[in-house]
Amino acid sequence: MQISTENEPKKLTVNDVEITYFDSGKQDISDRLPLVMIHGTGGRTDSHFGYLFPLAAQRQRVISIDLAQPKLKSESLSLEHLSAQVMAVVNHVIPDEKITLLGYSLGSVIAASIASAFPKTVENLILIAGWMKTDTHQVMRNQVWKELRKENSEAIKKYMTFCAFSAPFMSNKPIEEMLAAAEMIEINEFVDMQMTLNADIDITEQALDIQATTLVIGCTFDQMVPKHHSKQLYSVIKDARYAEVASGHAVVFERPAELVQLIDNFTQNPQKHEAGEIIPALRP
Amino acid sequence: MENMTQDKTIINQKILIIGSGFAGLGMGIQLMRKGEEDFVILERANDVGGTWRDSHYPGIACDVPSHLYSFSFKTNPEWSRVFSPGGEIQSYLRDCAKTEGLLPKIHFGRDMLASRWDDEKKLWFVETSNGLYSAQILITGTGHLADGHLPNVKGINDFIGEIFHSADWNHEVSLEGKRVGIVGSGASAIQILPEVAKLNCEVTVFQRSAAYVVPRADRVYTEAERRQFRRDPTIIDEVRQQVFWEGEYNYAQRRGVDRFLKEAKDMALGHLENQIKDKDLRAKLTPNYEVGCKRLLISNEYFPAFTKDNVTLEPSAIKEVNGSTAISADGNKFDLDVLILATGFEAVRPPFAKRIYGKGGIDLDTHWDKGMQAYQSITVNDYPNLFIINGPNTGLGHNSVVFIIEAQIDYILGALEFAKENNVLAIEVSEDAEQKYMEELHIRSQNTVWLDGGCKSWYVDDRSGRLTLIWPDYAHSFKDENGTFSPDGYMTITG
Repeated sequence: MQISTENEPKKLTVNDVEITYFDSGKQDISDRLPLVMIHGTGGRTDSHFGYLFPLAAQRQRVISIDLAQPKLKSESLSLEHLSAQVMAVVNHVIPDEKITLLGYSLGSVIAASIASAFPKTVENLILIAGWMKTDTHQVMRNQVWKELRKENSEAIKKYMTFCAFSAPFMSNKPIEEMLAAAEMIEINEFVDMQMTLNADIDITEQALDIQATTLVIGCTFDQMVPKHHSKQLYSVIKDARYAEVASGHAVVFERPAELVQLIDNFTQNPQKHEAGEIIPALRP
Repeated sequence: MENMTQDKTIINQKILIIGSGFAGLGMGIQLMRKGEEDFVILERANDVGGTWRDSHYPGIACDVPSHLYSFSFKTNPEWSRVFSPGGEIQSYLRDCAKTEGLLPKIHFGRDMLASRWDDEKKLWFVETSNGLYSAQILITGTGHLADGHLPNVKGINDFIGEIFHSADWNHEVSLEGKRVGIVGSGASAIQILPEVAKLNCEVTVFQRSAAYVVPRADRVYTEAERRQFRRDPTIIDEVRQQVFWEGEYNYAQRRGVDRFLKEAKDMALGHLENQIKDKDLRAKLTPNYEVGCKRLLISNEYFPAFTKDNVTLEPSAIKEVNGSTAISADGNKFDLDVLILATGFEAVRPPFAKRIYGKGGIDLDTHWDKGMQAYQSITVNDYPNLFIINGPNTGLGHNSVVFIIEAQIDYILGALEFAKENNVLAIEVSEDAEQKYMEELHIRSQNTVWLDGGCKSWYVDDRSGRLTLIWPDYAHSFKDENGTFSPDGYMTITG
């Protein structure tokens, strides 16, 4: 018996750095565009897209990139460094193909800037818990994080977990389970660099330019990238529609199946909902 | 309106619904709420409730949380537990029928014996155990769990002792001091065993194949919680959403994604290891097929029952009955006073199909000789104006079937609206559309645990090896794809 939809990691060297990516392979029966996924801060395909990747791959080809720490001289990490990694994989695996580009959290900031720079490649765009311009609320959280990090505080992972998950989700779990989730978090130099980048995002001009058919997904109880950021993207991007999931920022863990539904319906027919439409949540 | 034809009174109405379980009642409620009162529900018994009326064995409960396993348009703040007992579900359904004014619409004690399509009159003529009916539209809501499946075991009909099926429990038979055999290890058996094992009796369980069982996160709802549900029904909606999406998450296991199979398997086998310390017993209770291939069961009391002195596990099927002796496939003999058949239901070949005759006078069971099938899991070529709720490819292994039933009700309401607006007398799906739908479903079923999991289950039709009972995808996909009527694929005759 062979039941598997897992995919072996593949490697590509970009600007002297080895990048890991995953490719579910060509799909004969699907007429959907390949779906390219970019994870969020501190994530990997395996952690942020452990559910979405194999399930979305039932419907279309899926490619996901594990962002890697670039070799930098004196400059700090920029969106361009990370975008270059994504585009290198796209150009290597599916050159000249149009794609649906999906980003989650910081990944959606990268995805939005790629969509603005490569309008001929990015036909459709999905932005989950993303933002356009870092605001004071985010800077405040970012600074607390940096202080905890500087102090090498034991509380930092709990703090991250507290910020990431919604109160309704957490309240239904025993505290042991949430503490165990906190222990899974990895923090390293690359995460530090991403946190510095997060504190100073402004892609307003790019967002105004985006031509792609776009689905913006906000999370009702998001304390890290509160949903008003998603509403801003939805308002600014010309051909955007909006959906909301009753979740915290950690939506890929709290409501992954609901994301699968939204992604599935969108990639099947991106224009099903018109620009400006708010897609109602399923009421089971 | 009543007509006299061939000396027989025929009760005419626009719509006939068969059955008053979740499907029939839900359909009736929505028709009433839409202002459509020209319908009758035929019910073979003398009460509503379907499988929840018929199944009243000790320990019966639903394995989907009650707040989700109820109508979205009629939520209930009073559920006593996360997983409420069967009797409470039955009371809920009675209450639905009563408060929605549906009781006068239900004709009790009418077993549908034969429904025949008259292609000239464009009507269904329905013969029941108590009267004749005719209708333009026939809707079946007979469900997957309507008629108990009796195992084909040599000598079982001549068993000397009491014998009954779990869905037809004989409460007059006392089990005290008796030697009781329970046949089966599925969803009913795992609820029955812990209750029977509490009694002063000797119990033997005949297990053809072991079940994967995971912990049951059950608990009582406190009065404070119930007050919140009453005061603020949006909380019920939030619970429903949460339970629904948690259920949807588990579809990844059925899809056969390795990491989620492993997650489920680790949970089930870890539960077994926690509850059964004896290695030999544990080995006997360990399944030999992939998790999810058969229904994943939930219980905290099933495994511990086997550690009781009065319970014996026979890890093979019952093969033969000789007088009062039951002989297992492994050749072991057990003298018994009572035999309880927890052997499931006639789901793959539903008995109602033998009673429905389409355009060519062929009954649906014969028409389905390679396995049941329907366009959008609801309509069948050659059977105009027939809608089957909870029929082919509507079962779920991971979520609430009431959600599927509601999606199908919405579909039918859409079809009725279309028929009304376009003056349609007869609507029938084309053979092409039906075949194309089935081919797509067959492709989608590949690589799921139901087909590849290495088990024998009621989800698959032996005659074709196809998955005919299960919807092989997310529940939400069923609603997205089959919850809204479209005339595409249909042929219509207008008046």
